[in-house]
Parts: sequence; C-alpha cells; structure tokens
Amino acid sequence: MVQVEYKNVTKTYEDGFEAVKELNLDIKDGEFLVLLGPSGCGKSTTLRMLAGLEEVTDGDILIDGLKVNHLPSGARGLGMVFQSYALYPHMTISDNLSFGLRMSKGEEKLSTEEINKRVIEAAEMLDLSDHLDKKPKELSGGQRQRVALGRALVRQPKVLLMDEPLSNLDAELRHQMRNEIRRLHDELGTTTIYVTHDQIEAMTLADRVAILDKGILQQHTSPLDAYNNPANEFVRTFLCRHIDDLVETANNLFNDTK
Amino acid sequence: MTNANVMRIWYVPVEVLTLKRWLIPAFIINILLLTIDVLREDNNNLILGILGCIVLFGLRSNLPEMFQRKRRDISLILSALIVGIGTLRLISLEFSIFNLWMQSWLIIPGILSLIWLSSKPVSVWTGRELSTSAIEYGLKRNYELKSNFSKIASHIILIHFVIVTVFPLVWIFDIAISPGNALGGEIGDSFSGEHFSKILSGDSFWVWMTNSLIVSLGTCLLGLTIAIPAGYAFSRYKFSGRDVSMFAFLLVQMFPGIIILVPYFLVMKTLGLLNSHLGLILAYCVTALPLCVWMLKGFFDTVPRELEEAAMLDGCNQFQVFTKVVLPLSLPAIAVTALFSFLAAWNEFLLALTFNTSNDMYTLPVGLASLISSTGQAWGDFAAASILVSLPVALLFLFFQKFLIEGLSAGGVKG
Ligand SMILES: Nc1ncnc2c1ncn2[C@@H]1O[C@H](COP(=O)(O)OP(=O)(O)OP(=O)(O)O)[C@@H](O)[C@H]1O
Ligand SMILES: [Mg+2]
Repeated sequence: MVQVEYKNVTKTYEDGFEAVKELNLDIKDGEFLVLLGPSGCGKSTTLRMLAGLEEVTDGDILIDGLKVNHLPSGARGLGMVFQSYALYPHMTISDNLSFGLRMSKGEEKLSTEEINKRVIEAAEMLDLSDHLDKKPKELSGGQRQRVALGRALVRQPKVLLMDEPLSNLDAELRHQMRNEIRRLHDELGTTTIYVTHDQIEAMTLADRVAILDKGILQQHTSPLDAYNNPANEFVRTFLCRHIDDLVETANNLFNDTK
Repeated sequence: MTNANVMRIWYVPVEVLTLKRWLIPAFIINILLLTIDVLREDNNNLILGILGCIVLFGLRSNLPEMFQRKRRDISLILSALIVGIGTLRLISLEFSIFNLWMQSWLIIPGILSLIWLSSKPVSVWTGRELSTSAIEYGLKRNYELKSNFSKIASHIILIHFVIVTVFPLVWIFDIAISPGNALGGEIGDSFSGEHFSKILSGDSFWVWMTNSLIVSLGTCLLGLTIAIPAGYAFSRYKFSGRDVSMFAFLLVQMFPGIIILVPYFLVMKTLGLLNSHLGLILAYCVTALPLCVWMLKGFFDTVPRELEEAAMLDGCNQFQVFTKVVLPLSLPAIAVTALFSFLAAWNEFLLALTFNTSNDMYTLPVGLASLISSTGQAWGDFAAASILVSLPVALLFLFFQKFLIEGLSAGGVKG
C-alpha cells in the first residue's frame, strides 16, 4: 500500500511568492494522477515538494502515513523523470540506470549480480538493450527519454514522479511514449504522479486529474467526470472548452474534405 | 532576372577573388616593412617602397570586373610595375635571406597577379559574355581551387607566426649547445654538451628544481583544495555576503604585485616563513586563488541543476552529489585550473627572490638569475638551464592539451 497525502500544504518562495496555497490532495495506491494546469500554476512546485527538492513552507506531506517533510530526497523511495532527462553525461547508459541502485544504503544494498539483472530487465522492458554501452549524447531524444524512465523505475520506486516528461519530443514520438508510459503503469502498478499542461495528455493518461490554477486546487476527480461536471468557470474554460474546440476543429476538417 | 544572369553576377574567377582578398594583407605588410627602410636610413629604397605600396593599392582598387578588358590591361601593367620596383629594391640591397624575404612581399604578389590576370579564365571573363555552361564550369573550377588557394595563403601566414615564435627558442637552444659563453655566432656552427653536463652535474640545479617542484605542486594542491569547494559554493549557494566576497577575491588582483611586496615580506617575516617553502606556497595561493575560484565557479554554473536533483533522488547525499556527478563532469576545468596555478608558481620570480634569500631555498627562476650575476654572465649555462626549466612545463602542456582546449571552451558551448 503506497498512499501519498498533501495536508494543507503551502509553498512560499523566498521572494514571498505563494506558489501553492493550502493544497489538500490524496493519491491512492497504484493510481495514475495527473496534475494539470496552465503554465506557472504551481504543478512543478507541488511535485518537487514531494520529491524533497523544495522545502514545504507549511502543512504536511505524507507517504504511507509517514510525514516526510524533512526526509532527504534519496530516502523517500521515489523515482523522478525530469523534463530535460538529466541523464549523467559522463556515464554509460547502463551506469546511468544502475547509479541509483549502487547508491542505496544499508539493507537496501543489492549485490552486483542483482543490480546487473535489474538493469538488463529494465533495458529489455524499454527496448534499450542495444544501447547499454553508449553515452547519453549518442542516443536520440526518444531513447534518452526512455533511459530517464528506466533510471526512475529500476529502483522500484514507491511513487513515480514525472514533470512534463514528453514536452521535448515531437508529436509522433510523444504519442508513442504516452502509450508506453500508460502500458508500463498498467504492467507495474506503480503509483504515479504526472505533471502536464496538455489537456489531451491528462484525459488519456489519468485515473484522476488534479486541476490547479494560481496555486489553488480547482477540481480533483476522474477526467471524464471533470469534463462532464466542471467544478467552476476555470475548469470549464481550461478543460471543457479546450477539448470541445479541438473536437470541433477536427470535425470541421473532416466535413470540409467531404 | 534569369538564372543565367544571377550566375553571371555570382561568378568571379578564383584568381581575381584571391587577389582581391590577399592583396590587402600584402599591402599592410609592405607598409610595415617600410619601417625597416626608415631604420636603415635608406632613402632611395624608402621612396621606392612607398611607390610600391601605392602601386599595390592601385592594383587592388583597379582589379577588373566582368567585361572590363581595359582595366585588366591596366592591372597587368601595374603588376609588372610592382615586380619591377621589387626587383630594383632587391638589386640595390646587399643580398641576404632577410632582404630576399622582404622584397618577396612585393615581387611575389606582382608575379602572381601577372600570371593570373593574363590566364585564360580571366581573359575570357573580361573579354566577352559567358555562356551558362561556361559559368557552370567556372563555378565548379572555383569550388575545386578555392580551398587550395586559401589553404596555401593561410599556411604562408601561419609559417610566419611559427618562425617569429620559434626563432628565440632556436637561438637559446643554439647558445646552450655552443661552446663558450658568447651570444653571437652563426646558428648551428659548433656543438658542445658542456653547458648541459655542467648544469646537470652541479648540485644547485637539482636543489632548485626540487624547491620549484615542491612550491609549485604545493600551490597547485592547496589552491585546488580551497578553490574547488569555494567555486562550488559560490555557484550553488545563496548566502549573505556572497557577492561581496566574490568581489573581495578580486581585490588582491587589482594591485600590481610590487605594491604588496613589502607588506608581504613583513608578514612572512613575522610568521617566520622567510626561506621556507610554505611561505611561498601561501603567497602564491593568494594570487592564484581568485582566478581559480572564478574559473571553477563559471564552470560549475554550466552544470545543470537537474543533474544534481536527479542524483539526490538516486540516493546521494550532498557530498556524493558533488563527488560522483559534479566533479567528474568538471575534470577539464579542474585540469586547466591546476595547470594555471602550477605555472603561475613555476614561473614566479619577484616573491621568490624576496622571500627566499639562501641559495638552497632558491626556486628555479631565481637560481637561473643568479647564474648571470655571480659567475660573470654564464650565458651558455643560463640557456641550457632555461631549456631544462621549460621542459617539464612543455611536457605538461603536451599532456594536458586536450583538456586545456576542452576546458577553455567549456563555458561557451553547452554539450
Ligand atoms: N525559485 C523560485 N523562486 C520564486 N518563485 C518561483 C520559484 N520557482 C517557481 N516560482 C514561481 O512559482 C510559480 C509556480 O511555478 P511552477 O514551476 O510550479 O509552475 P508550473 O505549474 O510547473 O509551470 P510550467 O507548466 O510552466 O512548468 C510560478 O509563478 C513561478 O514564477
Ligand atoms: Mg513546471
């Protein structure tokens, strides 16, 4: 059972800017939660507080009922995929994948064989087996993205965090990786929090979406429910109107060519 | 405009292009060479030289365009004139390699321009309207020849640079391997290993070498030990007084070394660090540190923050993030910094001369200087020792070359 809870979480940056206000959010075990909202609404901040990369100003963050506010990032048992991949440029792909395992401490420490086994498994799962000895700069964008995903997954994280992981890819590859990510989630059942500002991505990936605006949670429900019963004007414009517009554009195109 | 017309405008034979470009440097060099005539107080040749420059300039501005047969012919006359002036100057001077070289800056451009402007492609181009296929052929020919021409030209320039840099070295080397302590003499006229064997078998040289090595390596190590964490902290952490202290670091650099010499001496004397390695190491670190810290900070700034965040999520603590991710990525920059601080200490003279006054505490530069004064200008020994002193540095540079280039360009391009 892995459960994540935000309790009255507030984030105020040093310059006094309130990026997240009184956030209450719970993520169930095995759930795929998408944090959706326009640019600058505090999605990344929300995610980075859970990862321990930003301090929580006020309120509590709980993983499995344990308050983690002051736990170091590495101890929280999370995996994170960054928008810019953040692969270690001086290491081979296989070293990139195994780095987290090699860094684990105490009881979690694995034998070299076990580490190799896990790396090979992850590489197979993500179709990277041929590239294990290369350096990150010798890979294509999509491959790098998959290495980043693999690096987060080999440690078998309690929660997988992704901050706009697909925004550096072209449309076709994005579509492909989207399916890949959903497939992996269904296969592994890892609790996942996914940040995006793309409504379609949210609609297709999420079990539930949490829609944010100006640091305030607007609605937290399944994507279809949000579309059918928008909680307020913001959700109506940002989600419903946007999707309707897309559908209309597509229909018009279709009708015109007929 | 039709395609053919576009091509016509774009086609200029490579000979004319080359002349257009390289007559300018030739002109500038000839002007500079006039100073030699002035120094020699050779008025006839000075006038001839000025005339040559003027004609060269005239040639450059008169180079023919398409259909300009007349200008081509004038250019030919001017070129012949240049060759004539050059030859006249050459004949009037006593023959030597240097004079030949000097006049070739007039004669060779002149001859080239004579040959090229009268060559068939240029004659055709200035003579009549070219057909499309002729232009196509010409463009292809240009493409094939152009890189060769500019390669030759840039090599000529580079060879000059090499000669200018290498000449003093050759001279020193010659002094070192010539018998006796004379400075004159033709290069390579006689050979003797006496100076080298004298230096290498004497005790002082090895003592000085050891001193220099201890001081330089000490500076390098101590400097890096301080500069790496300092640079990292300046790059990554915000703390009060950060900007002020970054600036304060530069403060020492703003005074000429000689101003702080006396205070330095007094401080070292009070601390009892005169005639010691540690005193010099400390003093050198003070001067080398600011540069090292700033360079390393600049490099650390280019290491993306997300990399460190990823490492933290992978379970590294702050120290491991630094040693396992940031440090390996910064090796080129660190190598450059190490080399700089090593060299600064290796070559320093003034402080070493002031602080360490006993013969067995001399560093190499001070020891070398003492060769000149005490034994009545032992130029041969001095030259031999200079070579021996620069040898380790030269080797170091060869070894670090790849790193150096990487490190120096590191801030510019994000890999
Ligand atoms: N270090 C910081 N100091 C001050 N303000 C910050 C800092 N980081 C972010 N902010 C502000 O907090 C707000 C939320 O930032 P955040 O990065 O969470 O946005 P986001 O929802 O992820 O946007 P995007 O989709 O563009 O990535 C923004 O208005 C931003 O300007
Ligand atoms: Mg963001």
